[in-house]
Amino acid sequence: MSRPDRSRTSAHQLRPFFSSQNLLNRADGSAQFDFGGSSVMCSVVGPAEVRIRDEKLDRATIEVVARPLVGIPSIKEKAREQNIRETLEPLILSGLHPRTGIQIVVQTMKDDGCILSTAFNATIMALMDAGIPLKSILGSVTCMVDEKTNQIWLDPTTEELAQAKSAHVFVFDNKSSITSASAGAQGKDADVDMDQDTVGAAILFSDSTGLFTEEQYFECAQICFKAAQAIHGFIRTAIAKKLEKEYQQTHA
Amino acid sequence: MASINPSEDQDQQSTEPRIVLPGDELPPTETGLVEDAATLAPTIKLGPGLQPMDDDTIAAVKAGVLKHASVGNRWWIESNQRRYVSVAGENVIGVVLGKTVEHYKLDIGTAQPALLGVLAFEGATKRNKPNHNVGDLLYCRISLANKDMEAELECFNPTTGKADGYGELKSGFVIKTSLGLARRLLDPKSLILRLLGKHIPFETAIGMNGKVWINSGSTKHTILICNAIRNSEYLNERECSTMVKSLVDKL
Repeated sequence: MSRPDRSRTSAHQLRPFFSSQNLLNRADGSAQFDFGGSSVMCSVVGPAEVRIRDEKLDRATIEVVARPLVGIPSIKEKAREQNIRETLEPLILSGLHPRTGIQIVVQTMKDDGCILSTAFNATIMALMDAGIPLKSILGSVTCMVDEKTNQIWLDPTTEELAQAKSAHVFVFDNKSSITSASAGAQGKDADVDMDQDTVGAAILFSDSTGLFTEEQYFECAQICFKAAQAIHGFIRTAIAKKLEKEYQQTHA
Repeated sequence: MASINPSEDQDQQSTEPRIVLPGDELPPTETGLVEDAATLAPTIKLGPGLQPMDDDTIAAVKAGVLKHASVGNRWWIESNQRRYVSVAGENVIGVVLGKTVEHYKLDIGTAQPALLGVLAFEGATKRNKPNHNVGDLLYCRISLANKDMEAELECFNPTTGKADGYGELKSGFVIKTSLGLARRLLDPKSLILRLLGKHIPFETAIGMNGKVWINSGSTKHTILICNAIRNSEYLNERECSTMVKSLVDKL
């Protein structure tokens, strides 16, 4: 049952998360999201002016720039940019701001595994901070299958990822979490409902590396789905705290 | 529009702040959209932050506080952001970027610069019209806002044809605040402006685009007021008065 990360006792335990919004002065929206030792800062500018070449007549152009911890961006960052952009494009109601550009910059601050998941969560918080119209929010979690024990570890560190047989990144939206929560409250066999939801429309993005069986994949999806609920809850609390600060003068 | 159940209570807004995130659906039981839709034909007015979705539900698209007024069954989300998106009828402060034969181009903080007709001033004629240069500050009203086009501005009250305070803002200083803070400053009971007004006389013009123009007797005072307004955003009432007091004491 033990895993290399000594700070955690259970295989399905997430590292403590932390987030903070509205950190940057000159961006329209910004946020930082941490998963333990991993940290990503995201800034959003938009809806702003866009180069004529990139202008789309019926919707906003979404541009994602990923920056590595050190050095110049490589193929890894390009892939991350594409992953984030393709997941967010259907989520952002870009039709409300035609002929404009929305630029999202994702900067890795600390890297201890699960950077893609951390980046997803940071991005959605920055987009909300910028007031970009969104269809729903998302929550992302990474898990891995251990090489020796075949155990599924949630939110692995770099050290743990070194001994992974396979690693899986999942993104879930908050709309499907509502349906599964109500389904779980109604029926006793909530696990069956949950299974259907996780396999169904709930997944916005999934990226797997390594060798794994179908069973392992679905088990990972289900564990990550449950963990994503915690992320959604956390995002809600974080936003509520920020709004409370903003409205304390009007309440008084 | 107001065809909702008349027995509904009269209070203007819901009692406790309800925080919504993008994707949260508006409960159909509260909007009255489900009950006897054919007979009652309830109408609902959606404000900023709410959008009808593909699956015939109404969902939030921004994070903020859900607000409701029973008069007219109006629902909206009060949220804060920094980037301005033009809305017809709002007052804004713009900086002149350039001038063509027919229009001034103004930066009001939106994605595209807004257009202000050279004749859109009180009593302006082809022969006799005000002349503004690049860099001038103008307080104007958005006369036309469309997501596909640049916003159009005017510098007079369309009902009276009078200037009514619109026009060039001479001297003074402009700061950029968040849109939420600008809205709060426009409240006549605004805490920070009341506190500052007790110590220093000053003039101010607040644009819904987050630009706030301040003018006072001396530069020292203007700087103090600007700093106080910027600092006030996340403070509560007590912290605000301490902050203003300490700033004024340092003068």
